[in-house]
Amino acid sequence: MQWNNIIKEMIFLLGISIISAFTVNFFSPSGIALVGQWDESPGVVASEAKSDVFSGELEIKHVKTAKQIYDKGTAVFVDARSLENFKNGHIKGAESLPLGQFDDLIETFKKKHPADTFIVTYCLGRTCDDSHRLEQLLFDHGYVNVSIFIDGYQGWKAEGFPIE
Amino acid sequence: MSSNIRTLFNNGWTEIAFRWILGITFIYASYYKILSPTDFAKMVYGYNLFPDVLINLIAIFLPFVELISGLSLLLGIYPRSAALIINGLLLAFILILTINIIRGHEFDCGCFSAKETGSPKMMVVRDVIYLIMGLQVFLFNGVRKVCFIHLGKRI
Repeated sequence: MQWNNIIKEMIFLLGISIISAFTVNFFSPSGIALVGQWDESPGVVASEAKSDVFSGELEIKHVKTAKQIYDKGTAVFVDARSLENFKNGHIKGAESLPLGQFDDLIETFKKKHPADTFIVTYCLGRTCDDSHRLEQLLFDHGYVNVSIFIDGYQGWKAEGFPIE
Repeated sequence: MSSNIRTLFNNGWTEIAFRWILGITFIYASYYKILSPTDFAKMVYGYNLFPDVLINLIAIFLPFVELISGLSLLLGIYPRSAALIINGLLLAFILILTINIIRGHEFDCGCFSAKETGSPKMMVVRDVIYLIMGLQVFLFNGVRKVCFIHLGKRI
């Protein structure tokens, strides 16, 4: 076995991999930051991609705040998870608008809810950002009054708030 | 029986079949990860084994190691070294999956896109099969078919 050659070749292959990886990540629109936000305590975990334009101001960061909004009855809670997950349990009275079926369902949703409706999106919890993505899609469709409940279904359920 | 297996493993056609299967598999595996590093980063996070500062770096670097090594196997450029890298990756995958199976850690971020395919146990079995292929490619001593550059020599 010619270990000297093998080591040289491996350094060559790994070198090309490093150069191409960081070059592509630098120029690609879907590139991510070198260090992401992977601590759940300050908020939703994310790789902090360049394509993310999430605004922290839109986030509802406390479950109790979400409950106050819920109790006022002025907001429509919209579940971004799959229909299967929604059927297994969701915030009572919430509507399902799965991110994966957004294009198929948005027109029906728009007929039901005018653009000035106060919407609160949510998904599972702080490990998912589907609620953020849903907020962006809804914004693109003219909904300007959308907030994101970042603790999601898990946080809501843990507090013993109404589910169905 | 064992001599039959030895003959099979020393066969040049077996080597090229295994090399191409591994090459195509790893190129394919890297494709989605390169296209959506943010989803892959979340999968890395989900294994709950890496420090926060390393998660994005792994998500950026690993898919390209898979791509370059996969291409290298497919085209027959430094196949032995590429097989060694692939074997290292497979060993790491097997180790990570096994640790999480043993400690009962299963991660589901509840996200639309970042989903693993298949059960962790099936993934370990699959990776062990790939590792056997990778070892054959690495240890093969005969003449390699469709191989352009091998150990510094053009063939």
